[in-house]
Amino acid sequence: MKRIHTYFLILAALLIFSSAPAVSPSQNGNGSGDGKVSINGGSPLKINLPTKDGSVRFVIIGDTGTGSRQQHELAAVMVKARETFPYDFVLLLGDNLYGNESPADYKKKFEDVYRPILDQKVKFYATLGNHDEPAQRFYQFFNMDGKEYYRFTKGNIAFYCLNSNYLDKKQLEWLESELAKDTSEWKITFHHHPPYSSGGKHGSDSALRKVVEPIFLKYGVNAAFAGHDHFYERIKPQKGIYYFVSGAGGKLRSGDVKSNSPLTEKAFDRDMSFMLAEVVDNQLYFQVLSRTGETVDEGVLPNQRKKN
Amino acid sequence: MKVNQTQLRAALTCLVLLLAGTAGDRAEANSLGGQTDKPIATKQQKRSLALFESHVSDYLKQRERVKAKLPPLSKDATPEQIAAYQKKFVEELRAMRAGTKPGYIFNPEIAEYFRTIIKTEIPPPDKAEIRQTILEADTKGVPLKVNFPYPETKELTQIPPTLLLKLPQLPNEVKYRYVGRNLLLVDTDNNLIIDYMLDALP
Repeated sequence: MKRIHTYFLILAALLIFSSAPAVSPSQNGNGSGDGKVSINGGSPLKINLPTKDGSVRFVIIGDTGTGSRQQHELAAVMVKARETFPYDFVLLLGDNLYGNESPADYKKKFEDVYRPILDQKVKFYATLGNHDEPAQRFYQFFNMDGKEYYRFTKGNIAFYCLNSNYLDKKQLEWLESELAKDTSEWKITFHHHPPYSSGGKHGSDSALRKVVEPIFLKYGVNAAFAGHDHFYERIKPQKGIYYFVSGAGGKLRSGDVKSNSPLTEKAFDRDMSFMLAEVVDNQLYFQVLSRTGETVDEGVLPNQRKKN
Repeated sequence: MKVNQTQLRAALTCLVLLLAGTAGDRAEANSLGGQTDKPIATKQQKRSLALFESHVSDYLKQRERVKAKLPPLSKDATPEQIAAYQKKFVEELRAMRAGTKPGYIFNPEIAEYFRTIIKTEIPPPDKAEIRQTILEADTKGVPLKVNFPYPETKELTQIPPTLLLKLPQLPNEVKYRYVGRNLLLVDTDNNLIIDYMLDALP
């Protein structure tokens, strides 16, 4: 009897440890999240964006600041992507430095990781996450101009960086007054917390949504990019606005996207990822790449405020 | 009991005026996501708010005296410059404020004022969300000690805007932070815990 018990226990242990991790229906891709990877099996990356002269090209990545091997591997895909898709800047969606923030940490968790891109004069525009000290706004490579929230323009796009960790009345008034006079063809916001998300750990930040969404709608914001949840998700347009979560730049919360979430248009939570984006006139093209260089989502979105 | 027409008319007029007054209050709401700035209700609350603002202003004066002696921090600083600036700032400020006791800003009257705002001005569905956001943050090990730095390794709890918009506004140099159920005032640039009050969770 004792022997049967032992066999049963061994069999159960084998079954548990050999079973594949649970995969939600929203996932695709084949990255493992653990072992070392080769980018696209050594083949050139397939970039499906127009890469048109005069377009605005950028990267969107969040929750990066670990300094881990996986963050380096994902950064290598960013470097490789730039060979065929020369983007000019990066939106950094917060949690730029996890844990300590000593000079050595800035080096290990940011500068060493993105050195090849920094050397090519690619600018990073950072927002603050819940792991980021406000003093980061003075850091030379985050281009925040000493401000917790700020606006900048590129071509026909106005970008609004918000501090969603501390969205007070002053900031909301600033946002509203800036948007009210903004005549840019595209208005894009980026912040750490997502107004919409299918994350099991965090999910939609409904308190944030309650205060920003009416302003976004009133002044014609086109798209909003956020992190905080450590995966990629493209939300079904909400009241006409495009929402993305791109928070798997340095950490991954594997299997965290709620299956059958009514919000999800497309999601990927099996490996780390970042977004490439290109705005050509009235079209926003995007492509999402994983740590293996695989395309996990792509598409083109029209400017909702323009009659084509 | 018989009610004559004059009495009825007077009662209706009162009701209309009352409703109009309520509508007027609602109309004053700004467009910040429909979040209203409820007028301060009582003289006592007005007094508490003024007292709070004056205590914060006192802190800012101390802070300014220290900051004026520091070399200014550039907007494109190196990490070394940021670290050196913060270190010097916090050391000098701590020395100037040595002996400051808890309740320096959140004295019992002001703490009660905050608890009243938090209790009465946040609708129940928002309260639940706010509690969840605040309590899920990893702030274990943050010392509840006035004049000590907030540890840089610890998460800075997001203050949900539905709460933040109800609290008295602070100058940019100071921020509210939560550690568990407790509300802290923390210096934005050097992380010094300026003061705290217990039991301030909605």
